[in-house]
Amino acid sequence: MRFLSGLILTLLIINNGYSFNHRLEISTISFELEAGVFCPATIIKGPLNTGQSSDILIWQENDNVTLRIVNFTSENHHIVFDNYADFGLILPGDSSEITMNLSNTGVYRYYDILNSPYNNYHGTSGLMHVKATGDLANYFYWDLKEHKESWNNLIATGGAPVLANYYPDYFTINGNHAPNINSDPVARIVGNVNQEFKLVIMNNGLSIHSLHFHGYHLTVEKDSKNPSYTGRSKDSFGVYPNESLILSCTPDKPGEYPVHDHNLVAVTGGQQYATGMFSTILIAP
Amino acid sequence: MMKQFLIIFILFSFNSYSQIDYNKLIIGRNTGAKLLADGTTTRVFGFAETLSGAIDVPGPTIYMNEGDSVNIDFWNVSQGAPHTIHLHGLDVDQANDGVPHLSFDVEHMEHGNYRFKAPHAGTYIYHCHVVSPIHVQAGMYGVIIVRPPNGETNLTWQNGESFDREVLLTASEIDTLWHNPTVLEHDHDPLIPMFIPDSYNPQFFIVNGLSDSQLSDINNYPLVGLNETVLMRLVAIGNYGVRYIFPTEVNNRIIASDGRPLPLDEISDTVMVFPGERYESIIQIGTNPLYPVKAEFINLNTNIVESTQIVNLRTSAVGLSENDQIDFVLYPNPSIDGIFHSTKEFNSNYSIQDLTGKVIYKGSESTFDLSKFKKGIYLFKHEAKTKVISIL
Repeated sequence: MRFLSGLILTLLIINNGYSFNHRLEISTISFELEAGVFCPATIIKGPLNTGQSSDILIWQENDNVTLRIVNFTSENHHIVFDNYADFGLILPGDSSEITMNLSNTGVYRYYDILNSPYNNYHGTSGLMHVKATGDLANYFYWDLKEHKESWNNLIATGGAPVLANYYPDYFTINGNHAPNINSDPVARIVGNVNQEFKLVIMNNGLSIHSLHFHGYHLTVEKDSKNPSYTGRSKDSFGVYPNESLILSCTPDKPGEYPVHDHNLVAVTGGQQYATGMFSTILIAP
Repeated sequence: MMKQFLIIFILFSFNSYSQIDYNKLIIGRNTGAKLLADGTTTRVFGFAETLSGAIDVPGPTIYMNEGDSVNIDFWNVSQGAPHTIHLHGLDVDQANDGVPHLSFDVEHMEHGNYRFKAPHAGTYIYHCHVVSPIHVQAGMYGVIIVRPPNGETNLTWQNGESFDREVLLTASEIDTLWHNPTVLEHDHDPLIPMFIPDSYNPQFFIVNGLSDSQLSDINNYPLVGLNETVLMRLVAIGNYGVRYIFPTEVNNRIIASDGRPLPLDEISDTVMVFPGERYESIIQIGTNPLYPVKAEFINLNTNIVESTQIVNLRTSAVGLSENDQIDFVLYPNPSIDGIFHSTKEFNSNYSIQDLTGKVIYKGSESTFDLSKFKKGIYLFKHEAKTKVISIL
């Protein structure tokens, strides 16, 4: 049930402008790369999240969120929410609290600005979606990352691997690789013919990912890196590190269709095929 | 009862075939050999249109018209793993999608039929989706071009833009380690995970199957016409991102991606194409002899450009025609030391000009030495034939 805990969906309330108290913890976990293969990772998660990636936070426009971040690691961290909050330096065992008035809709990244990009690579980065009032779309969320066992071990001991030599071995969506991605209800796209779904993608990895959708073209609703791409209808999308996309699609036919990274090395893991960044869209008639 | 069944069966069969506007046979093989830029060959898998046809990478380009009911009859003649054809970007239904565990695979000597309606006019890909990291790298890919509904060959799409000529550039890479028999001849039990190499470090960054010295051979320059409007179809199907950079003077204008028109054209001399993406752009050729297009191959993990390949679009200003190329070959071309050899013994003088038209050398010998001249591009003229040679 790891996948279920990977989603901490802060409740979406249809009404406008609610207040919430929420707590996130910076914690070191044992990340399972594949069965029996573990490495250390550091993620930012709610107390109920026993998953392998930082929380996906979903709020509504004009919500007031009082967010406390507690550092349970032995390292300093400095967490920033793009557009909204700078929690400052958080020492080991310490915490920081800020109330955010979420007046601007959109997808925002939160991340650790210390030891860049290694802390983020190690897991201290996530996404926050502030939905517009009345937005009842059927959303799914993908937090893309790659992993290299030796890098995770080195960074955990204060090392700084050489970026020019980066060759990741494992590829995940919301901390899961195929086939487990399909068991994550936040990630696995399930719907019906003629029923629109939307997909929020955030690349919190270091690699560029090129996602290809079988069966359907999707429309770019928002692209954080290339705002002018709005309205493009495509089946393949390059996603840069730190870039977010909102895509929409109204399926015209039923079936089960793959979605995967078309850098085909990324549909492997630990030299095994098929795994990695591969999921399927399941559309009922 | 049997007679009734037979009649129904025949009616169904007739109805089914009568709906097909375009039937295309594609043969899958795993015994190809590809000549690489360093003169070596590597084993490839690939597609051919006939049993006697040689396997090349990319496979043959398939053309169809928007709205056609298409049947691709895929015949696997490989004696190895099963193969499929994934119709990349054509948004076909699940049964025809070519992903083995969700539709079907095609075993050795079997036929598989992929039926679909050709989508919006544009540029698409087909490739094998069995152990795709290996089979695509092995060479099992090609391009599908969908024409407008009436089949016009000089129109982007119905009510779209007209052009004089189109040039297709399909980029990929070859890591010869992945072409080793221990990788290519993998087990194909779908229940057993496949082993793949522990790294991908391509030695050859290819455009239309060619790289380096192959691309700098005039015989491989795509031909365009003086003052023509050219539709560029830009495809990436390897594991690297490809940044195509056009000369400023051609006014590159991006008009479509993944088989769909862009809501707004984008004017840029740079087109970034990630694996699986396709872009279409319009360029305006002038009167220069050559228009070099750069293809920068970007490692998606490090964001480092690992190779830059140059595709020279050549115009009729260099006086070449298709027939010129088969008469004789000048080699090596480009030459590093300025010495060239000809496959032909000449019985009359040839001349060599620089790009201003100035004659810098005359002779009739089959080997000639241009080492005292500057690095660059020259025109070799013999009787009615002209060839472009270059010194690096």
